[in-house]
Amino acid sequence: MTSFWPIYKREMFAFFVTPLAWVLIVVFLFTQGMHFYLLVDQFAHNAAELGGDETPLSAFFGNTVLLYMVLFVLVPPMTMRLFAEERRSGTIESLMTAPVSSAAVVLAKYAAALTTYVAMWLPTVLYLVILRRADPDGQLDWRAAASAYLGVLLVGAGYLAVGLCASALTRSQFLAMLFTALVLLTLFILGVGEFVTSDGTLLHDLCAHVSVWAHMNDFASGLVDSRHLVFYGTMIALPLFVATRAVDAWRWG
Amino acid sequence: MIRVSGLTKRYWSATGRAQVAVDDVSFEVGKGEVVGFLGPNGAGKSTTLRILAGFLGPTAGAVTIDGHDVVTDSFEARRSIGYMPEAVPLHPEMRVVEYLRFRAELKRVPRAGRRVRVEEAMTRAACIDVANQRIGHLSKGYRQRVGLADAIVARPPIVILDEPTAGLDPNQIRDVRQLVRDLGREHTVVLSTHILGEVEACATRVLLMHHGKLVAQGPTDEIRALRGGTTADLSVRGDAAIAATILRAVEGVVEVARVGADDAASDVAGLLDGQAHGYVQRLRVGFAAGATVEARALGVERCVAALVARGLGVREAHPSGGSLEDVFAALTREAPPPEGGA
Repeated sequence: MTSFWPIYKREMFAFFVTPLAWVLIVVFLFTQGMHFYLLVDQFAHNAAELGGDETPLSAFFGNTVLLYMVLFVLVPPMTMRLFAEERRSGTIESLMTAPVSSAAVVLAKYAAALTTYVAMWLPTVLYLVILRRADPDGQLDWRAAASAYLGVLLVGAGYLAVGLCASALTRSQFLAMLFTALVLLTLFILGVGEFVTSDGTLLHDLCAHVSVWAHMNDFASGLVDSRHLVFYGTMIALPLFVATRAVDAWRWG
Repeated sequence: MIRVSGLTKRYWSATGRAQVAVDDVSFEVGKGEVVGFLGPNGAGKSTTLRILAGFLGPTAGAVTIDGHDVVTDSFEARRSIGYMPEAVPLHPEMRVVEYLRFRAELKRVPRAGRRVRVEEAMTRAACIDVANQRIGHLSKGYRQRVGLADAIVARPPIVILDEPTAGLDPNQIRDVRQLVRDLGREHTVVLSTHILGEVEACATRVLLMHHGKLVAQGPTDEIRALRGGTTADLSVRGDAAIAATILRAVEGVVEVARVGADDAASDVAGLLDGQAHGYVQRLRVGFAAGATVEARALGVERCVAALVARGLGVREAHPSGGSLEDVFAALTREAPPPEGGA
């Protein structure tokens, strides 16, 4: 695992020395900024019409599709190059002939993507500061905010793991991106299925279980459900495991 | 240092048919040797080197690097090698010194000595003058040197270079060959090439591969002798029959054959009329098989002297043969020829 650190540093370098990470962060912050502005505006002018339970915070993280829509667009380009680019350019050959373990390579690349993801979200903490300033009476629930960020981290971590796995399975960055987007959209659409299937059926339960919409609603209202934790834990661990096996398998191709 | 026995690598092609890239190859490389893998493109050289480097796993057979099996003890085996892949893939967005520091850290060069090691490797590979340039902006020659610096940065006992001079211009090729010879003083070097002259210039021993099989191996001197061939080509102005008679009388010559008219030379002479005096003929002179390089050179000298003494003009005289194909032919005459192939 000593090889984790140098690979992690190089991946971070690759993210931030190329325009990719910056472009993604700008797009992300622009969208989220707009989103937040509209929400606050709405709450400021129509507070009376909105239900008492809703706060700008819960509306920002839950009860919205904008959050996932942005992730569908941003996660695949973040992860597509992780392995596919190195295999296409051949640098994977220098990497894998150094004394490194497959697990260290996978984890280092994953950690770099996750760090970039966190860096992307970090400026949104300012929104909380703004809300706090605007409402000094202290209605802002910090614990709900923490749980919402935990949700955001878990959803992102799961999506990135899927993306990394896709990148390890193909040499083509484009296919990796397409495959990742497809998996994420399928999960989302299954989640929508919660509303179109009838109560009590297996399909309904399944849809409700994988629904990122439902997960984020819970997280945004401060509810940390262990089922969600298990779901995202699986969604992180399984693709990473598959990716490690895929990296091992290249030797025998 | 390197022990390979019964190495076989099979690929599954897209059509589902197994393709044998390396077929039952066995050899050993001792400490301090510079060994050259020679063979045409697609002979299995790169695949063999990739298995030695631990990038691919063997389908069958055993490979040990410095006593470590490449499959069961891959980690330690990889610590003993510095490998430069074919076409030298590098990260274009990094600066040379950044890349080499990354590689040194990856190869467990202790932090304390890392800076010095990287500088030393850049100096030895003659790329220190581009240390702060982005790899993407480097010329092919410099990229190659960065690849070499990467291969030696951790001072591995074994250095493996896949086609180290491919795509370089003659000056760069000379530099890289010099570098490889220098490496040979401190490392065991294994390199691959499809150019005969390359192995002659760098290697002390040659392994000849063809269709995935090791068809022959031996010290470079033996290969060099074979490359010399046993024939020489002469372009003679004058009657071919008379020339042939003269040449047959020369000591050491066993046969003379008329190869054809030397149109290029005739054209220069402005005498394309076939029967005219001054017509340039190309003749091939065969010397006794087993003649040394020196003996043949002397033979060529005597041929020229005899022709000139009898009033015939010699436009050109040079040893012929010695292409890779000739060497293959010469070597495989002794070894059992590979079955079918492809």
